[in-house]
Amino acid sequence: MSLHLNVNGEARISSCDPLTPLVDVLRDEFFLTGAKVVCREGFCGACTVLVDGHPIMSCLLPAGMAAGCEILTVESLASGGNLSPLQQAFEDYDAVQCGMCFPGMLMTLTSFLKQEPNPTRDDIKTALVGNICRCTGYERIVDAALSLIPTA
Amino acid sequence: MSDTSSAGTNFPRRDARDKLRGRTRYTVDQGRPGMLHAVLLRAEVPSARLLSVDTAIARKMPGVRAIATAADAPGRHGIGIADHPLFATGCIRYDSEPIAAVAADTLAQAEAAAAAIIIELEPLPAVISMEDALAAGAPLVHPQWRDYEVLLEGAARGGNVAWEATVVRGDTAAAFARPDVRIIESAFQVGRQNHLSFEPRAVVASYEDGRFHIETSTQVPWTVRNVTARILDIPASQVRVTVPAVGGGFGLKFDCALEPFAAILAREAGRPVRLVNSRQEEMLTCLCRENAEIQIRSAVTEDGEIVGREAVVLMDCGAYGGEQIFLTTMTAHTLGGNYRLGSVKIASRAIYTNTAPNGAFRACNGVYNTFALERHTDEICDAIGMDPLEFRRRNVLGDGDLGATGQVFEGNVLGPMLDRMAGLREAKPSKKPLAGDRLYGRATTVGTWFVFVGPSAATVNLNADGSATLVTSGVEIGSGSMMQSLPQIVASTLGLRPEDVIVRTADTDGSGFDLGVGGGRTTVSLGAASQAASAEVRRKLLGIASEMLQTAPERLVLENGRIEIIGIKGSGTTIAKVAERAQQVVGPLSGSGSFTGPGVAAMAGCARGHFIEAIDIPVFAVHECEVAVDPETGHVEVLGYTVVQDVGRAINPRAIHGQIQGGVVQGLGYALHEEVTIDANGRIRQASLETYRVPLAQDVVPVEISLYEGAPSIGPLGTKGAGEVPILNVAATIACAVSNATRRQVQQLPLTPPRVLELILGRGAALSFPHIANAWRDNVLTPIS
Amino acid sequence: MDMKNRESLYVAASLADAVDALADRGAAGAPLAGATWIMRAGLRQEKRDLAYVALTKIDELGQVAILDHQIRIGACVTHAQLAILLSGLPECRALAEAAGRSANPAIRQMATIGGNLCTVNFAAADLVPALICLDTRVELLTRKGTEEVSIEKFLALRAHLDPDCLVRSVVIPRKACRSAHIRLPLRKAGDYPVAIVSVAAELGSGNMVESARVAVGSVEPTARRWEELESALVGRRLDPGYAAELAERHTESFQGRDGIEASGWYRIKVLPSLVRRAFQTIERQV
Repeated sequence: MSLHLNVNGEARISSCDPLTPLVDVLRDEFFLTGAKVVCREGFCGACTVLVDGHPIMSCLLPAGMAAGCEILTVESLASGGNLSPLQQAFEDYDAVQCGMCFPGMLMTLTSFLKQEPNPTRDDIKTALVGNICRCTGYERIVDAALSLIPTA
Repeated sequence: MSDTSSAGTNFPRRDARDKLRGRTRYTVDQGRPGMLHAVLLRAEVPSARLLSVDTAIARKMPGVRAIATAADAPGRHGIGIADHPLFATGCIRYDSEPIAAVAADTLAQAEAAAAAIIIELEPLPAVISMEDALAAGAPLVHPQWRDYEVLLEGAARGGNVAWEATVVRGDTAAAFARPDVRIIESAFQVGRQNHLSFEPRAVVASYEDGRFHIETSTQVPWTVRNVTARILDIPASQVRVTVPAVGGGFGLKFDCALEPFAAILAREAGRPVRLVNSRQEEMLTCLCRENAEIQIRSAVTEDGEIVGREAVVLMDCGAYGGEQIFLTTMTAHTLGGNYRLGSVKIASRAIYTNTAPNGAFRACNGVYNTFALERHTDEICDAIGMDPLEFRRRNVLGDGDLGATGQVFEGNVLGPMLDRMAGLREAKPSKKPLAGDRLYGRATTVGTWFVFVGPSAATVNLNADGSATLVTSGVEIGSGSMMQSLPQIVASTLGLRPEDVIVRTADTDGSGFDLGVGGGRTTVSLGAASQAASAEVRRKLLGIASEMLQTAPERLVLENGRIEIIGIKGSGTTIAKVAERAQQVVGPLSGSGSFTGPGVAAMAGCARGHFIEAIDIPVFAVHECEVAVDPETGHVEVLGYTVVQDVGRAINPRAIHGQIQGGVVQGLGYALHEEVTIDANGRIRQASLETYRVPLAQDVVPVEISLYEGAPSIGPLGTKGAGEVPILNVAATIACAVSNATRRQVQQLPLTPPRVLELILGRGAALSFPHIANAWRDNVLTPIS
Repeated sequence: MDMKNRESLYVAASLADAVDALADRGAAGAPLAGATWIMRAGLRQEKRDLAYVALTKIDELGQVAILDHQIRIGACVTHAQLAILLSGLPECRALAEAAGRSANPAIRQMATIGGNLCTVNFAAADLVPALICLDTRVELLTRKGTEEVSIEKFLALRAHLDPDCLVRSVVIPRKACRSAHIRLPLRKAGDYPVAIVSVAAELGSGNMVESARVAVGSVEPTARRWEELESALVGRRLDPGYAAELAERHTESFQGRDGIEASGWYRIKVLPSLVRRAFQTIERQV
């Protein structure tokens, strides 16, 4: 039996077992290796993707339960050669180090900033509770996200 | 004359865009046609005789293409002593030690086959703690320790003492016997720290034309090449190592790891083999910052002069010596550092236990030795009634002072850095009001670390389009030194824009030897080699330009991609045109450069069993923090954190700030959250991120940073390594602040809420080490005259 | 057994379909809601060879009905949805707080109230003590029909439910009470709390405590009420400091759970402080 998935606006078909974690289907079958497998337990956030607009841990979502949903991965954020405003802010703030956490950070914050257009610094930090970064010490990531908030 | 305009700027990193788009292919993202998937069969006991390993059934299972066992890997490797086989050989020495490796068409097939390997064991007694290992009559982790090949002569070893380094300078007995001194004694204990690099250790290996190609997530391509050859007993020239972007290292990848397993399997199967540690394997076998036990005592006069100091440091190396053998050296320069000492005796011992081997982690034992030293220093101040800042100002090493091993320090650095910190403190209000009803504490500490210099090679090719290609064995582990400082150094020497310098990532077939990316050495050692290679190109370039412009080379300047006659803008020509001309008349322009440590001298006879007796480039740090401690739950909140760091010269201040923020936060994890404990069966209990807690965004604060420039350095453009040292005194600073807040003696890390609450309530006995003798001399195997 | 019964995952279209599918699979089957716990089974060294019946596409299980006398929450309502839907209801503060602060935002998007209730080995589940303090009833569904039990009874039963038994909804009676949920993670957030105190209290004139339900989570393997403390509180004026003193006197009935992250001693030791914080929170609501 095959699974019909909608990934980054494209209809895709997977032949995986439906209990396979979505992240493995994205990476191994569709070669969308942006989402990273780091803990497989929902603590690190490196595999965060958007499912029907909500950030979820794709290591914990069986692919079979994602059928019929709209899945967006980090690869969908830039259009043409242009980074999304958040990606651009991360580049401008020299926020990136090893880079492994950023695909997840971007998906979490992209969704968060859409829902909460006027967050405080603390709000952004609270939103990042499920996204670990081992390199940067976070503050620059928060600075970059805050730079997108129009000041009143 | 060289234009250095690209040094001192915040040059962005060219790998950021792809990393942000999810396009960067780390080793874990690599695939090959026909690639097999491998797993390791690992031990589930800490100590046993390995009677047999039967792979017959497993070999017949579906999809299985290759199985490797100890018979395929005859060699042993190690630092100082070759004590480490690839597979458990004859006996199992730690829980999770590899016994066999299986490659199959799918990971599930490989796992099933590994589970079908039949092993026969006879349990042996285990030593789990260092106290167990040093007890009288303790079972030996390596009964045959005498038979191992010794790679560095001169250290005392014996039984479960894998290595012993000692320092003896002056007469401590006389110092402690003086009537005018107070004797202050302290004991400390720390646990392990897991790097938690997001990319686990991972490799894809193939075997073609009689050679191995190993693509791996490592900080040390040449170590991987040489150790793989040693283990497989083949010439090192048969191994080629290349390194894609590395998803975090922090020292974890400063050793050969999974590569030989994949290499053996690839050779047997004739297909590429991928081997990636699961997170659980990473948690159970991480080459952690080691657990350690420290006893230190000092004889101090009323004026705060330290006339004598004696210390014993026990470092748990786990079942094999590894990096801890080298790190016994660093105790002299860290626990024995920071302050002027009238006399000193230090014993630094690596102890074998039946636990997973430990390794290198950002600033290594410097982190806990600084914790111990700075807490001990505060205990001294308490005892003699001296202000801790005043004590530090009086005693920190300055120009011409002797270090523990008798090396002579150059320049006054720590003193002025303390003054800088005082200025920062006075310029802003205390954060004490934020503590509310909680206990408030503040502390300032000093720290000394070093740049692990050593050999590096570089080649620079100047292309006819005016770009330059830098070829080294450096790898980008995330710190940005390959993306920022190296192109900036080459560009500043050649008058190019840093974006016109292409940096080739490591390929041991294409670039010369390098010690590896770690120890703060990339900017310094690789940078110096790159600068030397660029200087050769520059000389050649100026020679050609001199003919073209009919002007003496001394009167030419390189800047912004052009060569101009000094003082006359627009008078010259572009570097591209000169390079093109050179290509026609003398051939393409290239240069090569190399570097190694100059070898600063120590006092003869002070240090025994040391890999380096003096530190070539010291790096200093002064940290300060303010904390609030919840007296009911033991939670420590960091209210503010300030760093003054000696950077020599900051060629990319923004990038250094990023390293300091990140390093301090890793240090906060070590100080407050990250705990590794080992159960009675020698297994690490924190097997996942549920229980191994690293700092999250809400747990951190923006670090206030001041870069201290101008200290002497032999690094290119006056630089020092800036990425390693930010973690150095974080645990020390937090521990001293928590001690000040609670008025209790902090002796252990991490300061998790339960541990702090126990401290506040006075629960639990003070530390004592039955396995550390009271008389210093009784702790050493080294004959001391 | 027909074809679909052999699949590792069957996505049920309706409640009846789910109950039938579970009954067909018998002991080899299990319901699956948010999946966040079950997908980690391998890392807990647990087998995961069951045939799962996914419930999340069943409309009814995703509904919340806020009525005058009760609030009925479908079993597959996620933590994130709960936090939003209950935010305006003063008596449900404890549950909204539990749902809005547990784990991390992405997990809260996935994990469900039914899953949280049914996860037998999850001592630190946030919703459970909050539901206990709110005097919740649990509606169970089998082929035979529905049955409503108190949450305490459900917790005692949950390890032994019949294979075709599903949690359909939880029902919270609406009372004029105030509630609070105080969790103590070891970091600021993001880890499982080492101890939880959930409190619901009805206050009379002069802030007299007329009734109180105090539930403690994560301290013992299963969350439970703290009845000695409840009785000591009733009939006194609301006073957080005094509540903590009473808590201090009544901790002996707890058998603290020793875990990798904290010892049983610590979990119990912090309870009085959490009780005080809970009543301070309630005091601020008055």
